[in-house]
Amino acid sequence: MNTFQEIWFLFRKELTLEFRQKYAISGILLYVFSTIFVVYTSTFDAGPKQWNILFWIIVLFASVNTAAKSFVQESGTRQLYYYSLVNPVAIIISKMLYNTLLLLALNFLAYGVFSLVLGSPVRDLQLFFIAIFLASLGFSITFTFISAISSKADNSASLMAILGFPIVIPIVMELVKVSQNALPGTFDSAINEDIMILLAIDLMLGGAALMLFPFLWRD
Amino acid sequence: MEKKLWWKLLCVPILIYVIVVGLSTPLSPGITSMSQYTAVTGQTFTARVTTYNTFHTKAKEVKARLRKDTSLTIAAQNVKVLDDNNIEVTFSIPAFMPSSKEQERFSLDVDNDFDGYGTLPGKFIIKQNNIDSLKGAQVWQNTNFGDLSERGTNFPFRGLLFETIRNTFFHVPLWFGMLFLFIGATWNSFMYLRTQDQDRDRRAEVMTMVGLVFGLLGIVTGMIWAKSTWGTYWTWNEIKLNMTAIALLIYFAYFVLRNAFDDLEKRARIAAVYNMFAFVAALILINVIPRMTDSLHPGSGGNPAFGSEDMDNTLRMVFYPAIIGWTLLGFWIATIYYRTLNIEEKYLEQE
Repeated sequence: MNTFQEIWFLFRKELTLEFRQKYAISGILLYVFSTIFVVYTSTFDAGPKQWNILFWIIVLFASVNTAAKSFVQESGTRQLYYYSLVNPVAIIISKMLYNTLLLLALNFLAYGVFSLVLGSPVRDLQLFFIAIFLASLGFSITFTFISAISSKADNSASLMAILGFPIVIPIVMELVKVSQNALPGTFDSAINEDIMILLAIDLMLGGAALMLFPFLWRD
Repeated sequence: MEKKLWWKLLCVPILIYVIVVGLSTPLSPGITSMSQYTAVTGQTFTARVTTYNTFHTKAKEVKARLRKDTSLTIAAQNVKVLDDNNIEVTFSIPAFMPSSKEQERFSLDVDNDFDGYGTLPGKFIIKQNNIDSLKGAQVWQNTNFGDLSERGTNFPFRGLLFETIRNTFFHVPLWFGMLFLFIGATWNSFMYLRTQDQDRDRRAEVMTMVGLVFGLLGIVTGMIWAKSTWGTYWTWNEIKLNMTAIALLIYFAYFVLRNAFDDLEKRARIAAVYNMFAFVAALILINVIPRMTDSLHPGSGGNPAFGSEDMDNTLRMVFYPAIIGWTLLGFWIATIYYRTLNIEEKYLEQE
């Protein structure tokens, strides 16, 4: 079995597990709905800028909670079994792919609920969706790898936040900048450059994660 | 390497040179202000010019001129020395300028044979009411100023910076030192993953620690510098400050991560993995994003450090040794810390 097949099988395994348990997705959905509900009931008068920031903060925390489960969901012995069967790189890639897909669905859903409840000031929908896509990719890469690190420690939840947030800040900053441009009020003609930077950051972190993961899994 | 002496002995004279020469070399004479910054063609005016680091009373002759690049020059009719740092200059501007623009920016040069020359670049504006460049070419006669006097080896005078330009030998090289230490730590983390040698992990740890200290010192020296030039210790609009603060947070997290493990082998392995990942993230923070954003730092908007117009050769003569000196000092401190940890471990084993 080559690596691509391994990735495909592992990816399907993640999906099957998710559909069987419906644990992660329903928990995260509850989280998104309740935060948006809190924002709504506080009768917060959001301008486009505040709307944007709020949206990304909610998405950021939802992503952390989603990705934090990547390596703690299954027992250590079962993971050892996977590692003895397949290439570790295939494991991390499949988890990243799965998380990207999950975050993508989650973020689009969050956007839908958000614009249903608070209204959507988005002017350039295409650009905003590009931002959501790059956000899902970047958050998934970073948080999957960080959760692989923090799952080795005892109190992995707090380590996840300590290690993950500083690293993800550049991605969030670029995201806010790009998506701001999709809202009325700001126009930056050099936005394609920012999209390229965002993509480059995602790829650099992804490359580093793939190179380092094989050293991480052994216990 | 850590037991060899030559590079430690090398770092001491370099740093002494940096501190002594860096702090004692005088600044070039400079012009801090003029009593008026505009004039109209055909006008004759007298302005008071305040200069810095000059001794006009000791000079035989003080000369002044207005100059646009090198194409248009006009010398002062009369220069009256008030005291060492104040002169009064009288200019008589011709009725027409050989230019088709409404106004032109001029630089003011003040030259005396005792101190050398000082420049106030591009601050003086000459407006013209009647634009006639052909007539201007006839009327305007560039006065030959003669050669400017030698300044000797002085640091350049920059408005706003004044004497704080010497912080270039502390603030900037400390960042370089931090970067080299982090590179060293990353290399050792990489070697740990290849060799599983605990010694490599310890080296990575001490280099990260000293790099972090250097980074904090870089922030502190930068804050002091910012207070005297920008008027505030910290500004949240400045991308570089925020990015470096976050980069240091990433490395703080490295030590939090180390403390989360009791098993030495596991700690070393996971810390090494995180350290390499942190280096990639820190590179993005310090070297990629600040280049894309406007900044108050010199060479902003594209260039992360000093541009060629900010540095000159006298500064470079101290700046490059300063980078080497501070970096060597950083590695020296790291080796001392490393050996202390080794001794501590041996002592604990004996107990």
